[in-house]
Amino acid sequence: MIEIILMLLILLLVASAAIALFSKKLLNSIITLSIFSALLVIILIIFQAPDLALAEAVIAAGITTSFFIITINKTEGVK
Amino acid sequence: MVLVFPAIAVLISMGIYAVLTQKNMIRIIIGISIVESAIILLLGAIAYIPEGVAPILDQPYDTVVDPLPQALGLTAVVINASTTAIMLALVIKLYNRYQTLDIHEIRKLRG
Amino acid sequence: MKKINFDKVFSFILVSLLGLFILRVLYSVAGEEAARFTADHYINFGVEETSAINIVTAILFDYRAFDTLGEATVIFTAASVVALLLPRHEASMLKTEFTPVVQQSIAFVLPFLWIISIFLIAYGHLSPGGGFSGGVIISAISILIIFTYGYRYMTRRFNVKKLSLIEDIGALAFLTIGLAGIIAGGTFLANSQVGIYPGTPGELLSGGLMPLSNFAVAAKVGTGLSVIFLSLARED
Repeated sequence: MIEIILMLLILLLVASAAIALFSKKLLNSIITLSIFSALLVIILIIFQAPDLALAEAVIAAGITTSFFIITINKTEGVK
Repeated sequence: MVLVFPAIAVLISMGIYAVLTQKNMIRIIIGISIVESAIILLLGAIAYIPEGVAPILDQPYDTVVDPLPQALGLTAVVINASTTAIMLALVIKLYNRYQTLDIHEIRKLRG
Repeated sequence: MKKINFDKVFSFILVSLLGLFILRVLYSVAGEEAARFTADHYINFGVEETSAINIVTAILFDYRAFDTLGEATVIFTAASVVALLLPRHEASMLKTEFTPVVQQSIAFVLPFLWIISIFLIAYGHLSPGGGFSGGVIISAISILIIFTYGYRYMTRRFNVKKLSLIEDIGALAFLTIGLAGIIAGGTFLANSQVGIYPGTPGELLSGGLMPLSNFAVAAKVGTGLSVIFLSLARED
């Protein structure tokens, strides 16, 4: 059972990475990067690594996303 | 479990392909960030022993997952955030100088 | 007829060759059962020697504390570089004011974030967490304050100078804890090998100097990432 869930999560991870890199609008890429990080956190918990999952959850899904949002605000703004 | 290693290879390839061919500078940085996150996934997957528990030893256990790559991965996560922040600061400086985020335009201007 | 972009095709071929090579390397590394000597020693003798239940924290702050010092240096360098590079902007950000509903709910949530971060730091050797997770939650608090209350409010309470001071104090505290290992007769950053008060596993005050190292690293990481964000969002 957990094997099927793990396989589905890994397929979703690769799909969200593809959407984040090759989509047309910039804001879609950044939000999809945040979804990619959330899926990575769940996969790390299935691999029995709680410290990695905690740190990755706060940093990649919170702090890195806000860095990107601030950069978009400073450079062009969202059209 | 057997599907993780092809997924990691695909993620690293996609990230490097985005660095090579994308025009928008912020998308290049997103590509580098995806490569770094794939390395964190690799560190978490190498440590895994089937039927192992997490390395918090307060209950009776049978086999424990390898704790050494997890400790190194914890350092790597924070370093990823720092290098992404420096890259974004450089993007802001480039935008202030050239008023565009398109890297082909910046390469044409030369000065 | 669309023009075939030779750059993209060439990059695609190179990148797929790289992907196949990485796959071959990963499959030859994956099944190795023989290279776990160090990890077996840490698991079998970790709780006796360091009296920390969380083996990952014991590795990061006791057996291999020198890598934590290197990582603290990386954050320090990144904070200095970002604070140096970025100029002050016009007040261009955050023209949208948040309604009082958002401000009041964030004001309700913020003390609990402080409690969570100090819990994760203090119980770092007993449960998942440690200095790193607690520290980044502290920096997330400052990011939240900047987003909801504005940049002016944040710099009235904590400007870059005060946060830099706390960051330097955190780094110096970590180095002083390392020197305490030399004074007690061992090597630099030696914690359990010189026997600095192990205590019983499972208590809060155990593990030698590990709780102090957790607080020092959390202060450094938290304020370092806050300085990075303040420099990115700087406006005058």
